[in-house]
Amino acid sequence: MHLHWLPHSCLFFLTCFAALTARTWATSTSQDEQVSGFFGRHESGSGHTNNWAVLVCASRYWFNYRHMANALGMYRTVKRLGIPDSNIILMLADDVACNARNKFPGSVYAEAGRHLDLYGDNIEVDYRGYEVTVENFIRVLTGRMEPSVPRSKRLLTDDRSNIFVYMTGHGGNEFLKFQDNEEISAFDIADAFEQMWRKKRYNEIFFMIDTCQANTMYSQFYSPNILATGSSEIGENSYSHENDYDIGVSVIDSYTHYVLKLMEGINKTSQTSMQDLFASYDPVKIHSNAGVRSDLFQRPLDKALITDFFGGVAQAGVFPPDDPTAFVTTLKASEPALIISSAQLNAESHVTPSQSTSAVAPSGSYADEWSTQWKVARKWASITLLGLLVAWVSHR
Amino acid sequence: MIIIPIPALSQRTYIDENALQPAQVNTYWNWADVHRADQHLYQLEALRDRNSTHEQRALFVRNEFSKLGLAASTQNYEFSTSSGPVNGTNAYAIRASPRASGTEAIVISASWVSRIGEGDGTLNLRGISTVLSLAAFLKDHSLWAKDMIFVISDNYLDGMHAWLNAYHGTIPSNLETEPLEHTSGSIWTALNIDYSGHSFSHLGIFFEGLNGRLPNQDLMNAFRLISSYTGGVPVTVYDHFEPSEFPDKWDEMSMFPSWIPSSVRKNAGVQEYSYRTRNVARHIGYQARGKASGVHGLLHKFRIDAITLYAVPAAGPHGFHALGRVIESTLRTANNLLERLHASFFFFIFTSPGTFMKIGTFLPSAVIVSVAMMFGGLGEWVDAGTTLQKEVLASKSEVERPIEQVKWTPRRRPVLPAIVIMIITHIMGLLLFFLISSPSFCDNQLILSPVLFGLFSILPPIILSAVPQSPPTAAPLSMLLKSLNLCLSSTIISITSVLNFSLAATLAVTLGLPLTLATPSSNVGLRFTKYAGYCTLAMGWMVLLPRELENAIWNWQVLGVWFAPFVCIVYMPLVMQAGLVTLHRS
Repeated sequence: MHLHWLPHSCLFFLTCFAALTARTWATSTSQDEQVSGFFGRHESGSGHTNNWAVLVCASRYWFNYRHMANALGMYRTVKRLGIPDSNIILMLADDVACNARNKFPGSVYAEAGRHLDLYGDNIEVDYRGYEVTVENFIRVLTGRMEPSVPRSKRLLTDDRSNIFVYMTGHGGNEFLKFQDNEEISAFDIADAFEQMWRKKRYNEIFFMIDTCQANTMYSQFYSPNILATGSSEIGENSYSHENDYDIGVSVIDSYTHYVLKLMEGINKTSQTSMQDLFASYDPVKIHSNAGVRSDLFQRPLDKALITDFFGGVAQAGVFPPDDPTAFVTTLKASEPALIISSAQLNAESHVTPSQSTSAVAPSGSYADEWSTQWKVARKWASITLLGLLVAWVSHR
Repeated sequence: MIIIPIPALSQRTYIDENALQPAQVNTYWNWADVHRADQHLYQLEALRDRNSTHEQRALFVRNEFSKLGLAASTQNYEFSTSSGPVNGTNAYAIRASPRASGTEAIVISASWVSRIGEGDGTLNLRGISTVLSLAAFLKDHSLWAKDMIFVISDNYLDGMHAWLNAYHGTIPSNLETEPLEHTSGSIWTALNIDYSGHSFSHLGIFFEGLNGRLPNQDLMNAFRLISSYTGGVPVTVYDHFEPSEFPDKWDEMSMFPSWIPSSVRKNAGVQEYSYRTRNVARHIGYQARGKASGVHGLLHKFRIDAITLYAVPAAGPHGFHALGRVIESTLRTANNLLERLHASFFFFIFTSPGTFMKIGTFLPSAVIVSVAMMFGGLGEWVDAGTTLQKEVLASKSEVERPIEQVKWTPRRRPVLPAIVIMIITHIMGLLLFFLISSPSFCDNQLILSPVLFGLFSILPPIILSAVPQSPPTAAPLSMLLKSLNLCLSSTIISITSVLNFSLAATLAVTLGLPLTLATPSSNVGLRFTKYAGYCTLAMGWMVLLPRELENAIWNWQVLGVWFAPFVCIVYMPLVMQAGLVTLHRS
């Protein structure tokens, strides 16, 4: 008597299961495309899974206020577009916010009128003052660190990392001055990038520099996947944009000002491309001829999004299960890196929840096939069992 | 030297130091601060009308500083000089930098006596009011990275000199003062404010320091920019107005006499040339004599870049408001400095507020004279080494005529007597210097000057007569003396030209021709006339310029200006040596 509801419930379950099975049968072929269509960006083809930024202000002293403001303006932008502090290495050679000459202690502004305090809250300066040296900068890039260096001061990138490198300071033909006592040359940076490429420390690099004769700084690059831009040609100065008459110094450089102005109009889902950024350069406004070097970069510029470098919107690495050969080659090529990558992504899942879904458990191709067949068999077995049950109940 | 003022030789001034950032700030000095300055002025005028003593005035200033909460104190001092003691009381206050370590400081000063008439007694009351009001105003801002030292020094120059020596611990033996109660870090820049009139139309820059030292040009250029752009006050070099600014006043400002046709005098190029000539002449006047053109000049000795902002008295239109803003902005610029001013020029001639000459442009004028003198001296030396002799060689045969042959024969050049004479003249110079800087000379200057002049004119010929005549086989003493004299003068001019160009230029003018033209003659009367002329050139200042002499001695004794000893020990003997050359019989 207590089984009087059983036939109805069994029928209900059977119906549901039948429906579910039917749906699974219909969609199983397009699932992978859907997943990668959701997480990945096939049209841009960047293929990166995480974003990093290295922002360097190489000059100190109060009258170089604008260089600190340049770097902090970029810091604000990359942070706003989603790169977390853990993925930003910010190097500031001086602390103008706490300079005794600052009329507005603890604040750094990048525009006359002081509407936006770039030093407001939640600023994480990783290298400051005399820590900003050529040696430390190259160590950050190449990852050759003392064991004691904390993780927050390291560039923990892998071969799926897109890195935005921004530098500002006083420079000249193929050099940038650090701290008034040393220089980094264009060759140093080019070699550091090559080391990074060999050590699989990046997927793509976007290098931006605002200094006098900035375009010479990227002239020596020879590693692949680097897109570079600078504020002025050889023999040209880069000029400051405006002064704040209460602070009493120039607050930002012209080139960075106009780049940041464009960036303010970009959000995390923006489809604005690098082509648009470069097209916005106006030599009349900037007072110098900003340059671009894209011969090492393997994607068309109109397909490369600004958020590929400035944003923290990472794509997931989706490996199609029904293409085992491709997966095996990927696995062979970069096994250790991939493991680090997935571990890292798990670790960072609290920051970007979308990343946790992207972790793919690697498994062998035979096991994969076998489990699919087992699932099918199990499905049919349970349906048969249910059918028998229904027959038995209705027989009574 | 005549072409120095030509505009084409000057170049435009520019700011060389990145850190300065002049005229890029909003100023906050406003009418409330002007009102405060006015109130201070009333109090100061009351003090002046009561004929208050040095101490009373200093105490008043100290109390005003104390009311603001600054560390304030006074300093008594007394210099002993041959003309009597010089004493007074300074007041000063220090405002520590709110956020920096206080290892560097800026001095803002005003002396009681204005520089008008080089300290003839006109009081600098408005300058002092400005400093008092500035102290109250600057205290309220937290952006000063350097300590501010406010100094109200007594008298014209001596007060500041005493204060500076006490501050730096370099108290000379003739100064009696107590150590300063409050001190700060090393002083980098200083502004001295001189505002004695009721209002002013221009701000003049005075920059010459003791012994011909100059401040870094960046300070003046920055001040000029700030004054024109922030304060709206035109800047002049000294108190000379630019003719282009006052086309209607060209007649009064022209230095040319009225017999020159007005078409020439009215010519813009001529006007500009005469204006620049005045500036250069004024500069040489200060620098050659080693005089400070204002209180700022005392600070250069301690490697402090300082200038005087001189409010050129006029009916208007500017007053405390414009001056305060200019000073505030200039202080912001000085506050920006990270190291002492070093980038711009230390050797220059300001031909107009916006143009200057680099050392490379003006130095050759003195050096060329010096080189010419050196060649003259060497030529004389070579001439002294040989003598022309005519020889008649015996003819070999009677048919031929006797051959007359000109032959240069070498002769001895006994330099010892010449050197002894030179040393004696220099020792005489030293003796003369001690005599004129003694108190007894000071008391009886009018009588003693001609006596000394006569004595020092007669002594050398007597000494000369004691020197044995050179034998006919050796070079005459006069040639050797002239040769060595020219070489020594040339060396002195060359060396001086890199230290104090104006002095070198003056020496080149006063020594160049007279020393080269000194030649012995056969006529006794002519010889003594010439000698008398050289004596007048060498020591005439004792009789003809008693006031200048007094000043030079005062400057030496109080401020340590080397001009008086230099004239006595270097210049006078050189001219006397030339005089002795003329005494010889040719």
